[in-house]
Formats: sequence, structure tokens, C-alpha cells
Amino acid sequence: MKKLTFHPLTWWIFSLATAFSVARVNSPTFAIAMVGVLSVIVFLQRESAPWGRSFNWSLKIALWILVVRALIGVLIGVPIPGTVLFRTPILPLPHWMPGIRIGGDVTRERLVSSLSEGVIICAIIVILSAAASLTSPHRLLRVLPVYLYEFGVSVVIATSVLPQIVSAVSRIRTAQQLRGQKTRGLKSFKRIAIPLLEESLARSLDLAASMDARGYGISKKRSRYRPIKWAGIDSVVALCAIAVVVAS
Amino acid sequence: MGGNRFGSCALRYRGGGRVMIKFANVSLIYPNSTTTVIEDLTLEIAEGELVLVIGPTGSGKSSLLRLINGLVPHHTGGILAGDIWVNGISTATVKPGALAHLIGIVGQNPANGFVADTVEEELAFGMEALNLPNDVMRKRVEETLDLLSLAPLRNRALATLSGGEQQRVAIASALVAHPKVLVLDEPTSALDPIAAEEVLSILHRLVHDLSLTVIIAEHKLERVIQFADRIVQINGAGNTIVGTPEQILMNSPIAPPIVELARALGLNQIGTSVREMRRLTSQFRETHAAEIVETKPTSHNTFIEIKNLTISYGGKTAISNVNTDIYENEIVAIMGRNGAGKSSLLKAIAGISHNDSGSVIVNGHDSQKLFNKLRRQNIGFVPQEPSDLLYAQSVNDECKQADTDNEIALGTTLKLLQQLVPGVSATTHPRDLSEGQRLGLALSVVLSSNPSLLILDEPTRGLDYQAKRILTRILIEFARTYNKSVVIATHDVELVAELATRTIFIADGDIVADGPTIDVLLSSPAFAPQVSKVMSPQPWLTVADVVRAIEGQQ
Repeated sequence: MKKLTFHPLTWWIFSLATAFSVARVNSPTFAIAMVGVLSVIVFLQRESAPWGRSFNWSLKIALWILVVRALIGVLIGVPIPGTVLFRTPILPLPHWMPGIRIGGDVTRERLVSSLSEGVIICAIIVILSAAASLTSPHRLLRVLPVYLYEFGVSVVIATSVLPQIVSAVSRIRTAQQLRGQKTRGLKSFKRIAIPLLEESLARSLDLAASMDARGYGISKKRSRYRPIKWAGIDSVVALCAIAVVVAS
Repeated sequence: MGGNRFGSCALRYRGGGRVMIKFANVSLIYPNSTTTVIEDLTLEIAEGELVLVIGPTGSGKSSLLRLINGLVPHHTGGILAGDIWVNGISTATVKPGALAHLIGIVGQNPANGFVADTVEEELAFGMEALNLPNDVMRKRVEETLDLLSLAPLRNRALATLSGGEQQRVAIASALVAHPKVLVLDEPTSALDPIAAEEVLSILHRLVHDLSLTVIIAEHKLERVIQFADRIVQINGAGNTIVGTPEQILMNSPIAPPIVELARALGLNQIGTSVREMRRLTSQFRETHAAEIVETKPTSHNTFIEIKNLTISYGGKTAISNVNTDIYENEIVAIMGRNGAGKSSLLKAIAGISHNDSGSVIVNGHDSQKLFNKLRRQNIGFVPQEPSDLLYAQSVNDECKQADTDNEIALGTTLKLLQQLVPGVSATTHPRDLSEGQRLGLALSVVLSSNPSLLILDEPTRGLDYQAKRILTRILIEFARTYNKSVVIATHDVELVAELATRTIFIADGDIVADGPTIDVLLSSPAFAPQVSKVMSPQPWLTVADVVRAIEGQQ
């Protein structure tokens, strides 16, 4: 299948609009449908570049957030009356914390409400990361105006270094595996996180130094080599996105 | 071979000319550091000069390079005394970016500095930042693509290029702004000998045709020495010496094999190119004959069996139907161009690859099915980035972790480390170690489990000669004394000559040569070590071989 070549901002407009409408509609069904649509687009359209692969990770992270958020929502907070599903032991709290309880009855209403809130938060995360994996951060930088210099540098570092970290994780995990260490679970987190943090810091500094040395941000004006043009199709997508926001 | 194509005294720059870079009483110290990096350095570099910066790892070579365009101290912090002028502009008064039209700089890992996706966009990036008009950019991109023979790659994604190609793109994107000075930090350390040769001959041409001033830091002196007009030697603790290659190398502890050879032969003169050395040693070659030392494996116990191994990534074949056996106490070097499949073969031996077909049997076990303790006892693997293995906050913690993992007495690993690399403080953070010390630490951690097989992927990247000598000694001892096998993937022909008993040469995933190191290295001119180029047709690979021949005659 031929890949669409949109203006780098188009996917971002599309994603932001979708995320906005998910928050406005506030329906988990709609949110899940939108995640589905975006996932199909990402799997069909993404390039085999590091940022393209970062989408899988955001799916995993979103699932984690959903689980943790549902657990906390069920166990802590203001009780909602309704059909009791099961009971957990209740933690006695001092009298100056009225209305809050930890543990106690878990009702179906409570589970549904915390799950649906979780779904919407996770959907927004996934939708925004879809834009990140569909647009090359480098192309994005090229369309940013030069007065956003500092911002542009941080965007490039964040969006290009972070996905490269994904590949570094697997490399470090392999090395640790070869040292005969377990590479799953909480204990291994530190073993992978520390070399990773060092490497990403070093990479970021290298990139920033290279951009600086090549004169980025020195000139107030910035010329364009083969400028990226805003085409008709971009307007169509952007207009549709805005229409979704207005309709929601 | 290319090695002596350009190296001639007659071409060498002889002083005079317009001053391009001027250091006046420059001293540099980093905050929270007790030693100065550079102390009172005064140096003038003329237009069209090629200056080589040498010194042990961590001595401040990169700092010196980055002082030239002000990345140090503008970007890194640090206190700078004295003045630096480039083409009459004092670097203290402007930001590094304001010198972009004057100085091109290429870092140690060029891929880390890439900003764009494709070759052409990467070249244009700097010019866009300098706000050059579109027609000028188009013209210069074409010129530069031609200059560095990158035209066929213009639309390729940078991530898909080989190491040598990436290095050429990085040089091109520095040159595209038409700078007068080009600064390169270890431009050949990650490259195979052929790619290194390509990059260096391009630099040589730029110096001669365009009068570009070039400053290079490099550990592998055997590759660059013949191109250098002058050398700046940094000895650590701020001490620097400047001189011609002959002056500096006469007494320097850092010397390429070619200079070691001149010293071993007791010549009163040293040559910096193969051609000069051949002239100086012609009589010696005729009067001394080589004793052929048999280098057959002393053991016939097969330790690794590789059978019909095929590996591919996304439809691209990395290893195609490889069959070979590796014996006990062999030191096997795997060589080949960047991307030939060396790392894939190592990973397959270590059992962490996804094989399409075939198997690797290590010490009777399928290497894919080794876990935890059994794995540690059979295979020790030192990855390309030794720091991937390290995560503790101090050298001591790291060693203790290895002790508990392997259920050995506390302090064993630390003791091993101190034997391997004396002088490492136990309280240091692994990040603050020099490259050589960090490799030593990773090696001790791996060796503490007493593996029967040691695998090293490109261990000499960024190592100075002294660290390399230590590594060679450790590996030879490991293989000979303890009767174990070592497999090492490397681009460093000098290391292979010193170390390996057998060399496997791979190209495009196939074994194209496999045999005793001496046969394999001598049959390929590009991969021949310096000593053998000088001594050809005598079959000597290293200075030690030559010394043995002298002793044999007495």
C-alpha cells in the first residue's frame, strides 16, 4: 500500500482534534472506537523508523495506566452505592477524613465509573502518541518557525531521542540477559534504567551540540531547502478534524 | 595498497602561510575537577595544515577539539583562560553557532548528531539555519554530494546507512557550509579498514585541493599518521607537546606499530609511512629470513559447532548457511566490512539471535537453551557498549553484585579487576572511568563467573595503545593458561595480528576466508597490518615477530 505523505502538522491536528472530541464526548465506547481507528491508521501508515515503533510501547503504557487507575479508583475514594460485586477489608481512617474510605464494598457502578474514566485517559494518551509515531520528528522541526528555537530543540530531543531509547532498551536487556540476569520484573528495572538514562543523556547532549555547532537558531530568518508544502489533502484532513471537534 | 598512496614527505606542509587557528596561553579546567585539562597551550595552526591530536583516553582530546568552535566552554561549562582565535574571530565573544560558517565539526558518534531523515535533508540543515538562499543551497548540496561520492545515497534514510557512509554524510554536512576549518573526533574508530581509508583519503584531498585546515583526534595512529603535518600530544593533567610527527613519535609512549618497528630495529630515524619505512628497512628484509611458526590449534576438542546457520532480518539475509567449528584455546577473530554480519554471528554463538535455520552447539549445549547460571558458566559476552552491562553506583557495588551472582567469595571480582587494570578506585562511579577502565570492569564482571568461552564485540573502539596491550595480554592468558576459547569481532587489524590464532573473514553473511591469522591477513592487502606491509614479502605480522626473527639469527 502506498503511504500517504501529509504535512507533518496534519497528523498532529488530526490527533489533537480526535483527542479533544474523546474528552468532550466522554464516552468510553467512542474512545475505544477512536483508538481502534487510530491504531489501524498507524499500523498501515507508520514508517519502519524508531518513532514508528514507539506506538506499541504507548499501547503497553496505556494498558498499565488503565489497570493501575482502575485498581486505585475501586479501592480508594468516595463510595458509590449499588450492586455489591465483592467486599474488601476496610481500612479505618481518622474522623477528620470524612467521606473517604480505603477498601470496603466494591460495587458494579464504582467499577464501571473508574474503568470508563481510565479508558478515556488512556485513549487520549494513545491518540497523541499515534501522531508522534506517524510524523518524523525531524520533518516536524523543519516546519517550526525559528523563533520557537528553544522549543524546537527540546521537541527534537524529546521526540527523536525517546524512541531511540526503545531500541536501546532491547539492546541493554540483551546484554543483561547475557550477564545471566533476569530481565523482567521490578528488580530488573533499575538495571536497565540506569545505563539507559546515561545513554539518553549523552545522546541528547551530542544532538544539541551538533545543532548548535551547525548554527541552528543563530539567524532570525531561516531559509527552506525543498520546503514542505501544505497541500489540498492536508486542508481536507484538518477541516474534517475541526468539524469533528465542533460536532462533539 | 592505499596506505602508502599519499604518504610522502615531499607533500608535507612545511610551516608558514596564513594563521587560521591561534591558541594563546590557553588553559581549561572543568568545574568540580582538581586537574586542568589543558595548561598554558600556545599553538598556531596555518591554513591548509592537517593537525593530529593524540593522547591517552580521557586526557582531553575531545575538549581541545571542542575549544576550537567554542562548544567548550559555551556548551559544557568549564573555566577557560587565555584566548582562541579562528580566522581572526575570538571564540570567547561569540556563540558556537556564529562560527558555523567557519568551522565544521564532526563528533565521535556522527549518528548521534543527525537532525534530518535523509542524506540530502541532513546536508541542507546547516545551510537552512544560516538562511542561505535556495539556489545556493541546491548548488552546494550537489557539489558536496559529488565531493564525498554520496550522490547515489542522496535519498536514503540516514538510519539505513553503514558506519562509513554515515561518517561521510557527517563530514559532508559539515563541509556544505564551506567552512575553513574541519574538526573530526575519532573519524575512523568505528570503521573497517577500507571505509577508514576512504574517509582519510577524502580528507587528504580536501587539505590539498581546498586548503582546508583539518584537526583530527584519533587513537588508531597507524591509519592517520602518514597524513599528519603536526601532532599535538596531550599527556593528561594539562601537559601538552606540539611538534612534527617525527619529533613527537621519536620518544612518545603512544606510537603506531610502524614506529615501534623502527625502535625495535634500532633505526636512528623513524618513518611515518609504509613507503618511508620500506626504504629504511630494505637491507634488513634481505638479510633476515622468517621462521615460520606453526599456528595450528594445539587442541582438537571442538568447543563450538556452527551448523547450517542462517539468520535474516526483515527479509535481508545477515548470515547465510555458515558451517564452522571452533576449538578449545583458540582465539578467533571475526573480520569483515561494516554490516557484513559479524555481530549477527556473535549473537548466534551467544544464543540470542533468532535463527532461521541451523544451530550453534557450545560445549555440548544448544546455545539458545542456556539460562542463568549455566549460561554464565559457559558464555561470557562483552557487548559493543560495555556500559550496557553495568548499572551499579560504584565499581565496588558492581563487583559485589558479580560476586553474589556467581556465589563466589566477596571481593574476588574486585581483585580480578585490580589485576587486569591496576589503579581503578573502588569508589568511582563506572561512568567516570576511562573507556579502557570501563571495558576492564565489564570484562572482570564477565570473567568472574569463569566462563569457558569469551565473546567480545568490537572491544577496541576508543581504546589507546596501552589499554589495547593490556586487553591483548588478558585475552591471551585467558585462552592459553585456562585452555578456553575467545571469539572477537573487530576492525582492528593490528589487534588481530597480535592476538588471534585464527581469522574468519565474512562478507555478506558468508565465510570467505578462514584459516590461521597469518595466512588470512597476508592474503588481503586492505587488511594487512602495518608491519607486514613494510616487511613484505617476509611473512611477519607484528613487531614481536620481527624481534623473534632477529633473535633467531643470533
